[in-house]
Amino acid sequence: MADSFLHLARPLGPVSVGTAPTTAPLNVVIQPQAVFSILDHSLRRNADQERVIGTLLGTRSEDGGEVEVRSAFAVGHSEAEDQVEVDMEYHKQMLALHLKANPREVLVGWYATASELNTFSALIQNFYSGQGDGTWPHPAVHLTVSTEAGKDLETRAYISAPVGVTAERAADSAAFIPVPYELRYGEADKSGLEAIANAKDAEERSTSIATDVEALERAIEEVLGMIDRVSRYVESVIDEEAPASTAMGQFLLNALALAPKVEPADIEKDFNNHIQDVLVVSYLANTIRTQMELSNRLATAQLTLGGGESTGAGGEGQRNQRGGKGGNRPRQDRAPTEEARA
Amino acid sequence: MAEAQSPITAVKVEALVVMKIIKHCNQTFPTTATGALVGMDVEGTLEITNSFPFPVVELPTESHFDNAAPNPAASAPRVKANAAYQAEMIRMVREVNVDANSVGWYTSANMGNFVNMNVIENQFFYQKELNERTVALVHDVSRSAQGSLSLRAFRLSAKFVEAFKENKFNSEDLQKSNLRYQDIFDEFPVEIHNSHLITSFIHQLQCPSAGPTDLPPSLAALEASPYSKSSSLTPNLDNLSLNIDPYLEKNCDLLLDSIEAHNTETNNYQYYQRVLGREQQKINNWKQKRTQENATRSALKQPLLPEDEWQRLFKLPAEPSRLESMLNTRQVEQFSRQVDAFVSATTGKMFAAKGNLLPGELAK
Repeated sequence: MADSFLHLARPLGPVSVGTAPTTAPLNVVIQPQAVFSILDHSLRRNADQERVIGTLLGTRSEDGGEVEVRSAFAVGHSEAEDQVEVDMEYHKQMLALHLKANPREVLVGWYATASELNTFSALIQNFYSGQGDGTWPHPAVHLTVSTEAGKDLETRAYISAPVGVTAERAADSAAFIPVPYELRYGEADKSGLEAIANAKDAEERSTSIATDVEALERAIEEVLGMIDRVSRYVESVIDEEAPASTAMGQFLLNALALAPKVEPADIEKDFNNHIQDVLVVSYLANTIRTQMELSNRLATAQLTLGGGESTGAGGEGQRNQRGGKGGNRPRQDRAPTEEARA
Repeated sequence: MAEAQSPITAVKVEALVVMKIIKHCNQTFPTTATGALVGMDVEGTLEITNSFPFPVVELPTESHFDNAAPNPAASAPRVKANAAYQAEMIRMVREVNVDANSVGWYTSANMGNFVNMNVIENQFFYQKELNERTVALVHDVSRSAQGSLSLRAFRLSAKFVEAFKENKFNSEDLQKSNLRYQDIFDEFPVEIHNSHLITSFIHQLQCPSAGPTDLPPSLAALEASPYSKSSSLTPNLDNLSLNIDPYLEKNCDLLLDSIEAHNTETNNYQYYQRVLGREQQKINNWKQKRTQENATRSALKQPLLPEDEWQRLFKLPAEPSRLESMLNTRQVEQFSRQVDAFVSATTGKMFAAKGNLLPGELAK
């Protein structure tokens, strides 16, 4: 099957029985987890394998116009000159296992770790988009992530349409139609990706997790770097070394205008209020910790202190007192937070 | 099992695992999510190379603390059905060349509230049933949402495991073993490791391959261009947000809960001591009575009654386990450390903001 054959705009092949599968435009959203899974699988392929394939799972929007690829798992397969073998049994079992843990995800397609599309791709694609086990009546998404050494990673997404003059030909042919895709990560993934990205320039490709203060330091350094860059640019425009741009100027002005204008007295007041809240909570948290530790220590230490009953009673008394204090503390605690809320 | 030296010293987590855990924990947030970790142990460093979530099974929990597990997912790692699931899953991933040793499990947490019976029992289950080289990874969803990823690795200390095995948590045992709340967990440093492919993928993600572009023709074009959307992954500028109140509020709530738990525990203990005192009082009375009786009897030359019958007649109440209060203290310690870390960052931010809004103020 030649590549050129696949680039027909819209196929007019035999329409399958019943309702025709939708060929409506489709937008593919990929979450980084799925890409990472694919890359990991690619690293773990057998030495003699050119590419590896696997199943994509995710969600589909109501109208079927958007597919979100959320996760992926590997499926074993072997390719020879004239035949391809995919471990379908494995795929089914794994899918069942996966769906057990992620009931909301559905089968959306498959991936391969080579950009090439060939007859085998068409065969596999037809399996994944078929009726029964496949994604029918929705199109199956085929994602290719090239992992060739020395080249950029190239990701492409396709859906397919049936082609072929006869039923036999249709079984091993498919018109792959490229569809746009987008890599999307949520707010929650951001912190994870940040930590991962910290390792990108490291020689050993690993990094430790930063503490709050370290992360803050890095963020501030980055902001300072950005401000430097902008002011350098502005200076060079003023010195007429760089071309000026009204749009850029306007944009920077807008950004500057975002600085709030507040009365110094208000700032002073808010600042003091908040810093007090923060410090009080910290102080109380540590006090509570010390109190609890003391109470536990006393409870376990009373017997070694000598007399049996009498010290026991003493310890009890002390604990009573502490219990009382503990009871008061919540109210103190509440006060600053409620104030802060107001 | 009781080795003085812990068999692992560090934990290395693959980027893939980090992302998978984040995804799973966020999907189920605020319910606890749990899952299994696979990987291998290389000269004391535990490399976690893959993970998969546990299905939530609606089963009566096997926890022997009745009120401890209202949430089926929290106890999932030690439910029988999941052991089978895990075995099956591991068998499956082995076929596609993934490291197929179970090396622990992960759980999600909300503001560090992960020190509880469930975590202890799960980890104990892993360390007892499987092997020594297992860890619990705790991903704190709320704290990660604040800007910096919070992922920590824990193991039960050998000392604690020994005590837990025999359920030795009354005061006498604790004195003997000298077990304290600080000794419950061993924490390991967590490192994130990227494969070459992921490194190159991230590089590509951050610098789109397009060359230098022309200056934008208009403001609208500039705002629509991809450059004005934040695409950089590092550093995460959420860190700079000054939104501190929700965080403090949440922490205060959690602290209050802990105080409450602590009070319950102390009350239990006080009750125990009162009952113990009463019983002891009764025994003493009984002994006195018996001695008097015997004195009369010996005067009358009658056979003496046995003096140790009280052991049969009275029963001393069992001392309540101190485990809960130990855990509670550990939890409070966790909260207060968390608050400290938060406060140190926040005060810095606040002074910076103030200095920025009131230039000249700080110079005075």
